[in-house]
Amino acid sequence: MLRLLRSEIYRLVRRWMPWIMLALIVITAFVLYFLIWASVNAQLQAVKSGAIPAPPGGTAQFDEALREIAPDRVAQFGVGIVAGLGSVMLIVFAASHVGTEFGWGTFRTLLAHGASRGGFLFSKAVSLFLYAVIFMVVGTIAAIGASYTVSAVAGISPGSGVDLGQVFEVAAKSGYTFLPYMAFALAIAVWAKSAGAGIAAGLVVYFAEGLVATILISLNKDYAQIVNWGLSRNASALTRTATSVQGQDPSFATLPDPTQAAIVLGVYCLIFLAVAYWRLRSRDVTVGS
Amino acid sequence: MLPAVTNEAHEVVLRTKGLVKRFGSITAVDGLDLEVRRGEVVGLLGPNGAGKSTTIGMVLGLITPTAGSAEVLGRDVRARREDALAGVGAMLEVTSFYPYLSGRDNLAAVAILRGGGALSRIDPLLARLGLQQRGGSKFRTYSLGMRQRLGIASTLLADPALVILDEPANGLDPAGQREIRELIRELAAENRGVLLASHLLYEVEQVCDRVLVIKKGKLIASGTIAEVTRGGSSYFEIVVADKRRAAEVLRGLGVKEIRETPSGLDVVADPERGAELNRTLASAGLYASAIVPRASSLEDVFMELTEPEAPSAPPAS
Repeated sequence: MLRLLRSEIYRLVRRWMPWIMLALIVITAFVLYFLIWASVNAQLQAVKSGAIPAPPGGTAQFDEALREIAPDRVAQFGVGIVAGLGSVMLIVFAASHVGTEFGWGTFRTLLAHGASRGGFLFSKAVSLFLYAVIFMVVGTIAAIGASYTVSAVAGISPGSGVDLGQVFEVAAKSGYTFLPYMAFALAIAVWAKSAGAGIAAGLVVYFAEGLVATILISLNKDYAQIVNWGLSRNASALTRTATSVQGQDPSFATLPDPTQAAIVLGVYCLIFLAVAYWRLRSRDVTVGS
Repeated sequence: MLPAVTNEAHEVVLRTKGLVKRFGSITAVDGLDLEVRRGEVVGLLGPNGAGKSTTIGMVLGLITPTAGSAEVLGRDVRARREDALAGVGAMLEVTSFYPYLSGRDNLAAVAILRGGGALSRIDPLLARLGLQQRGGSKFRTYSLGMRQRLGIASTLLADPALVILDEPANGLDPAGQREIRELIRELAAENRGVLLASHLLYEVEQVCDRVLVIKKGKLIASGTIAEVTRGGSSYFEIVVADKRRAAEVLRGLGVKEIRETPSGLDVVADPERGAELNRTLASAGLYASAIVPRASSLEDVFMELTEPEAPSAPPAS
């Protein structure tokens, strides 16, 4: 099984897609930090020059927006950028990482060379987990770098600087919430023998489930008893505590307990991997599969 | 040169017993028993859909048999799949590798999975299969013939006792086909067992020690090439101008079958009846330019054995 994992990593580091995704998250972090500073600063200068009227409360809200760029806010703002984009990218990657094996017919090749089905799934799951960790670490470092760079350019005080412990705790919790979505995309890709199916199903669940949960709770708070067993509510419960942001959404008050949320998300991961294994184990592998 | 004969020589490397596979109501393989020994090349023949690839799939544990068992080097494939397949190198009908990796990197990915010094065999195998110049090129740029060669190279990474090749000559030019035939014989000479599934009967005739003919999943003939072709009909190739009259005259002799050819007739009859055919034609004023006795080739026998059954006559009303 470890030989299969080594082979998996050998192939993974030679593929363009993971490197492109890492480059994208780095570039995106810098570009977003710069664009936010440029946009807020342009409005601030326009107000100061009288080109546009000052909003109620003066320029305080612009100053507060610029403060988000400062290194002491990376845990909330910078990691938020990485998590927002990273979740989608990692769902796509998970489905592609598994689904392409069926599309290329290489799943058969691996099995014909002695790989076991359980070993195949194990090596995929472990390599995906490792990649998600690397992705979050690189993305978080990029966000820290972008924060310091743009702060220096903009003349924004770095405040108390980056609290690395807090930043990586938030990043770890955010990354943990992606895992069940990745496991779900993997399971669908295995079931349908298609990367496209895994990507589509993973993204639909990621975007739609949270929306449906919010609507249901806004209709009746008692629905929280049901939707709190879903993915999005448990992910929100974990990231809420991670970022210490209560938000304005009243449905936050009904979020599950963070420890329970972590357990539920972990159980979802195991269920999705078990479904994928069961499907893989019971399937005859013929031409085209 | 043949390696020194060891006590492993002639050991059975593959044995299936009563192998059955049903897909719903369709029986793809029906009670198949086969054996492959070290040092021999066994041809697995059959028309499309006969069950060759399904049989190979069961031997490799890709397909779960409905009944029966497959053993490689005495290890049951279902119970001890990884142990069993450690001694097998298999090339499937459709050769699939990672398109973004080079040929060499694809072999390395398989070699890491195989372990046991497989990495050190990559360059010698690329050279043996004539791919050393293109080993660094991406797999997606390979021609069909090069993909086949890479597939064959991958089968030998683990230094297997049993090599399974499913249509290895697909996409190869005649020179390439000859090289593969020579390679297959070399593999047998290295004391490996080779199971070769192929549609190219000439290829099978050239390299196989034994053949197994399957039809609708059932073994319908097996043995050496000589044994199998002995079961086929012998015939005479008769070169004659008036084919229609000659056929009428010969039908009077009660011959088994007459086929018209561009130069005359092929007449299926026992080998000792040549003189009788000649005399009968001559006495009818038909002088043959040649009467040549022919033995059935493997292709003839294969066609006879696997031709579809004639549709049954409708019931009399």
